[in-house]
Amino acid sequence: MIEFKDVTKTFILENKDEITALKNINLHIKKGEIVLLEGPSGSGKSTILSLIAALSKPTSGEVLVNQKRISKLSDNFTSMFRRENIGFIFQKFNLIPTLSAKENVIVPLIPSNPDTKSLDENLNELFKKFSILPKMNILAKNLSGGEQQRVAIARALVNNPSIIIADEPTANLDKKLSIEFIDILRKLKDGKNTIIIASHDPLFFDLDLIDKTINIKNAEIVQCF
Amino acid sequence: MKNKFNIHLLEFALSSIFRRGAKNIFIFFVFTLLIFLLSSVLFISNSIKSELDKTVDALPDITVQRLIAGRQVNIPISRIDKLISIEGVSKAIPRIWGYYYFAKAGVNFSVIGIDSFDDQYKKSYSELVDKFDFSNMQDKSQMLVGQGVKKILESNYYSGYFNFIKPDGDFIKMNIGGVFKGDTRLESNDVILMPKQKVLEIFGMKDSEATDIVLRVANPVEIPNIAKKISQMFPDCRVITKEDLVISYQNIFDYKSGLFLALFVISGFTFFMIIYDKASGLSSEEKKEIGILKAVGWRVDDILKEKFYEAFVISFLSFATAFCASLFYVFFLNAPLLRDIFIGYSTLKPNFILPFSFNFQTFSIIFFLTVPIYIAATIVPSWRVASMDADEVMR
Repeated sequence: MIEFKDVTKTFILENKDEITALKNINLHIKKGEIVLLEGPSGSGKSTILSLIAALSKPTSGEVLVNQKRISKLSDNFTSMFRRENIGFIFQKFNLIPTLSAKENVIVPLIPSNPDTKSLDENLNELFKKFSILPKMNILAKNLSGGEQQRVAIARALVNNPSIIIADEPTANLDKKLSIEFIDILRKLKDGKNTIIIASHDPLFFDLDLIDKTINIKNAEIVQCF
Repeated sequence: MKNKFNIHLLEFALSSIFRRGAKNIFIFFVFTLLIFLLSSVLFISNSIKSELDKTVDALPDITVQRLIAGRQVNIPISRIDKLISIEGVSKAIPRIWGYYYFAKAGVNFSVIGIDSFDDQYKKSYSELVDKFDFSNMQDKSQMLVGQGVKKILESNYYSGYFNFIKPDGDFIKMNIGGVFKGDTRLESNDVILMPKQKVLEIFGMKDSEATDIVLRVANPVEIPNIAKKISQMFPDCRVITKEDLVISYQNIFDYKSGLFLALFVISGFTFFMIIYDKASGLSSEEKKEIGILKAVGWRVDDILKEKFYEAFVISFLSFATAFCASLFYVFFLNAPLLRDIFIGYSTLKPNFILPFSFNFQTFSIIFFLTVPIYIAATIVPSWRVASMDADEVMR
């Protein structure tokens, strides 16, 4: 379902120096799998997630999702692709701080002009599912870290994506909230959603719900099990 | 369904305006003030220009003035016979008029003599002569005053009359027989009309003299030739054609418009500072927001549409507020402060009401100089950021 073919990604810094974030990566992720990308900071985990979500393009090689070469899509099509297929939970949540929890969750749906009535019903369900219903109208900047993360998860799921991506989802959470996040992941594992998590949090190691672990170091895959 | 107007996008744009409330309120006020200044200046100049155009229409074809040592002096009325004998001249009318300085108010009145039995050199004067009983004005020592004069006299406790001081120091009392509106408010506002004999007395002029002589010419093409003939016939006279007067009026107007040019430059400069600031880039918070929107599936055109709504709402509200405020300021409040720069000629400072003058061209100029420029200045930097990879923008 998700395939990387000899993918290399380099970044050019302001001082013209080049940094290779990924070097000739080949990987294959099946539909419905929960995959953990592990490795130290700066190893290239977030870059892989960014390429899967078509947030950036590889310098060379190809990224395929459902046989579609997303690395070759134009900017507008990659946006459409994200809207229809991807739910992204960012490390720092990336909520819009001056919008309420509800408004943040609606944001991905706005361009498709949803029907207001059915939208409200779906939102109520989603907020109930993640126990943040009373926080619906509170500004994101006034929510606690755990609440912000649940809002970010709700936003990632609001358009029923087939691929859920989580970048260091527990990096800004305490242990209790991190365990809560794992419980949420458990709920999401239904064989339909493909979930890819990048983390170096030991909580994820040897977790029973993880189907595949990919170990990355120095921009290369060193182990896949 | 796809083409249905996206109300959620508009709601998001509106919420975005409120979320950056302080910044947007500041932009709204500055922008409104600039558009207000711009439109007020245009309204005032349009209003005065339309008045001047009417004034020019009423100007005599040729005015003959006598000069001695380069200064205008009274002209003998006897010269009319020679002037009327020039082929092409249909009328020659002596004018008796002058400026009377009213020291208490610090203003000059234009005192003009007209008689009911004379040919009037202005259509409006003929109408006044018909409307008011001018034949009895001499006996009753009456005068007609412009609206501005009436106000000034009233504010100085002259409600029914005014005492003019003659050159020999004697007083001559003139009763206000009526208040009139002339062809143009700009010209007639400071005017006092009274029988010629009274004007002669007030200014100490002889019966055989006039201030100047105005001519009507049947064929306007002949005006330059006739003017040349008069110059040759009376070498001590200055001959002013209608065209000369039009240029003179325009010079006065252009000079006063020039004062406003400074205002234009200042407001234009401030406007472009705002535009430059907007166009030169977005804040890191705004950039990040665009990155987030792209990351969750917004296309570039969705982002640009949202930015368009934001910019349109702010700029159009500013435009509408400023436009209405300047209409009220100029035509209802009569443009206090700004009006004083324009009105009156030389030392005249009469009360003057700006007549309503609106044209679609002015509306379009103000609109196209402000709203689209602001929208473009908002959209271009957003487009630059939205065209980048979402990942790069959020970093």
